[in-house]
Amino acid sequence: MLEIQGLDVFYDDVQAVWDVSLHVDEGSIVALVGANGAGKSTLLKTISGITPAERGAILFSGKSLTNLPPQDIVDMGISHVPEGRRLFSNLTVLENLKLGSYTPRARRTIEQSLGRAYDLFPVLRNRRNQKAGSLSGGEQQMLAIARAMMSRPRILMLDEPSLGLSPILVRTMFELIMNLNSQNVTILLVEQNIHQALKIADRAYVLKNGKITMTGGGEELLSDPEVQKAYIGARWSRQ
Amino acid sequence: MKSYKRIILTAFVILAFALVPFIVDAEKSYLVYSLFLFFCYIIISQAWNLVAGYTGQISLGQHAFFGLGAYTTALIWLHDITKTGYYFDPITMLLSGLVPAILAVIIGIPLLSRLRGDYFALGTLGMGEIIKVVFVKGGSITGASDGLHLPSAIYSSIKPYYWTGLFLAIFATMVVYFMIRSHTGLALRAIREDETSAAAHGIHVLKYKVLAFSVGAFLAGLCGSLYGIYLFHINPDSVLKLDWTLYPILMCVIGGTGTIIGPLLGAFFISTVFSLADIYFVQMHPVMAGFLIILVMKFMPNGLIGLIQRKEIFK
Amino acid sequence: MLEILNLNVIIQLLINGILFGTMYGIAAIGLSLIFGTMRIIFLAQGSMIILFAYVCYWLFELLGLDPYISLILIVLISLWLGAGIYRALFKGAVAQEDKNISLLIAIGLMFLLENLMTVFWTANPRSISTSYTSYVFRPMGIGIPFNRLMGFIMAVLSTTGVVLFLKKTFIGIAVRAAAEDMEAATLLGINPHRVNGTAFAIGTGLAGIAGVELATIYPFDPFFGFIFVLKAMIALAIGGIGSVFGALLGGIILGLLESLASFFIGGGWSDAVSYAVFLLILMLRPEGLLVRSVKKA
Repeated sequence: MLEIQGLDVFYDDVQAVWDVSLHVDEGSIVALVGANGAGKSTLLKTISGITPAERGAILFSGKSLTNLPPQDIVDMGISHVPEGRRLFSNLTVLENLKLGSYTPRARRTIEQSLGRAYDLFPVLRNRRNQKAGSLSGGEQQMLAIARAMMSRPRILMLDEPSLGLSPILVRTMFELIMNLNSQNVTILLVEQNIHQALKIADRAYVLKNGKITMTGGGEELLSDPEVQKAYIGARWSRQ
Repeated sequence: MKSYKRIILTAFVILAFALVPFIVDAEKSYLVYSLFLFFCYIIISQAWNLVAGYTGQISLGQHAFFGLGAYTTALIWLHDITKTGYYFDPITMLLSGLVPAILAVIIGIPLLSRLRGDYFALGTLGMGEIIKVVFVKGGSITGASDGLHLPSAIYSSIKPYYWTGLFLAIFATMVVYFMIRSHTGLALRAIREDETSAAAHGIHVLKYKVLAFSVGAFLAGLCGSLYGIYLFHINPDSVLKLDWTLYPILMCVIGGTGTIIGPLLGAFFISTVFSLADIYFVQMHPVMAGFLIILVMKFMPNGLIGLIQRKEIFK
Repeated sequence: MLEILNLNVIIQLLINGILFGTMYGIAAIGLSLIFGTMRIIFLAQGSMIILFAYVCYWLFELLGLDPYISLILIVLISLWLGAGIYRALFKGAVAQEDKNISLLIAIGLMFLLENLMTVFWTANPRSISTSYTSYVFRPMGIGIPFNRLMGFIMAVLSTTGVVLFLKKTFIGIAVRAAAEDMEAATLLGINPHRVNGTAFAIGTGLAGIAGVELATIYPFDPFFGFIFVLKAMIALAIGGIGSVFGALLGGIILGLLESLASFFIGGGWSDAVSYAVFLLILMLRPEGLLVRSVKKA
């Protein structure tokens, strides 16, 4: 569904992504893991059109995304929840949600999407007229994901969704991701919480210094000794 | 270009400029007048170049320093403070540069320590306006809105203005040139690129910002002094007008900020445009200035130098 | 002076100040919207106001069109012109990282307008007076000039209009979102140029209204624009950038300050006081005097 070939991306004058190729099958969960600064966020930003690519191709269902403006990319069905959530804290929950359906395709079914969002997260319905900034950390993360879902995406890209959340909420978060996936939403997940990410991923790529160093199935990489040594630490593999 | 060749070329150019009044009839020549203005523009452009181009602080208050320089000169002259009676008295000029520089330090410390970027620019705008009001309201000391008049008898020929202008233009360029090549210059450029990082590397950011700001003020004051003597009627409208902030910006931007040659090119280009405009379309040059800034920022934001550099990359 | 200092005079000063200050207020709202989305100080706002004041003036002089009727025409013109100016001048500059470029374009535009207007229409001050503009209501012995009252009403109505637009329309909500976090808004598929252009057009529209207000209240000349935008910025500094009503309030407070200062201290110095206040606010409380701090999510 989503295919990236030979991507080079520069951040200012520094190259952040080196000749990256990956693919995401429809209906799957793909995880991008790696240390901080490995280039994962830059990669997502390039897919959504915020950051320009220097070289390479990005194809979504066969259509090229390079040089398309972000609004067109969202309209095609790619939704990106950025790192740190980036909610509009001065706007209400409802306003945040509505903006999720800004693109023409999504706007036609905005009422339904709103209904679905409230079904998925009842707490948002209760707080719909409150300012987004007044929500708790977990609620904000839910709002961020709900907002991204408002555009009826075919693929949802999540950048560090578990960041700043308590362990219980982290678990809830990953359950939510699997839930969405079971409703036919393809997921591209960037995570530092490698353990959880690899547990739910069908496929995973390991990114280091902007290059892909390993790839394979989620469980497969989880039990790989190199991955364990570098990122998880042998003691944790039993969680 | 090898450095000795560059020096020879520069010396040649300077000599050529110096000789112009001998070749043409200086008093009647429009060329000499234009060149005189050109030298003035170089001085204030390099001043702005230092503060904004190299240190990254956009100052919109240069006109205040310029005007202060002019007023200082007029006051010294009228009250015979230095008791020298000379005309292009270097001491007078020095003082005319020092007064704005001191003001720059006094105002610069609070402004630069608290304001960044846009806010600093606004702060300098406000400062400029306050100074204007002070001068307009200054009563008998500053001559209020009518201003101060220097005796017109002191004007005998444009030649001394011309050569002093040439000298000061070279002086200003040298000052900026050597400052930039020194350790100070490194610090200034570091501040422009990334202030936080510079501070983390132990650079006393405020000190260097204030330094650049006051040197810029000094040069602007010098220019004001020279121009003021030329005008010999100094009032808020003529020496405190926003033009004296806008034109150097325009010239630096056209030529290319953050380079030594940029302001020179820009000043030359603008002087030429203005001089031609004055001949054919009188009164239009502020309009053209505005129009030009827009054009330049849209199509060549890195100035002429930027264009030249781009050409070199594509060779 | 103490003899003439009685309650009536004070109230008169206050009323005058409030009514005049609404002009600064709506100019400030325009600045605030443009700054919120494009992150630049649109220094040419004052000159735009003067431009529209001239348009209103000439419509009156040449066509006999009553200023309050030409208001509608001018608002339409200003909205359209604003969108055009954004597209022609700022769209490309916004795409580049350097905010200084847009700032310099705004300065260039201000210069261009000021001097162009001087060339065409000379620097002589202009003002509109119809048969009724100098009429003064006198409730309870306090003079309320008709023209200033109308100006006040125009300002309040347009401010309310802007607030409704920002809260109730989709694009209005998008503008508020973009003002808070442009990148996040872009990720939702909001076109930054549409948002910027809309904010800019509203800013210019408000300049149009301020222009009509000015033309009917106070003599103006091409160079008044610069002073005006400075005052608008002071109003914004007082009211804070985030709030529309705050900006209007800031303008009113400034009008009050000026009215009182120019009575007690005298014309020129009251300007210096305003600028000094401006500098102080910039340095000590740049988010604005009236603003409570905002949380980030």
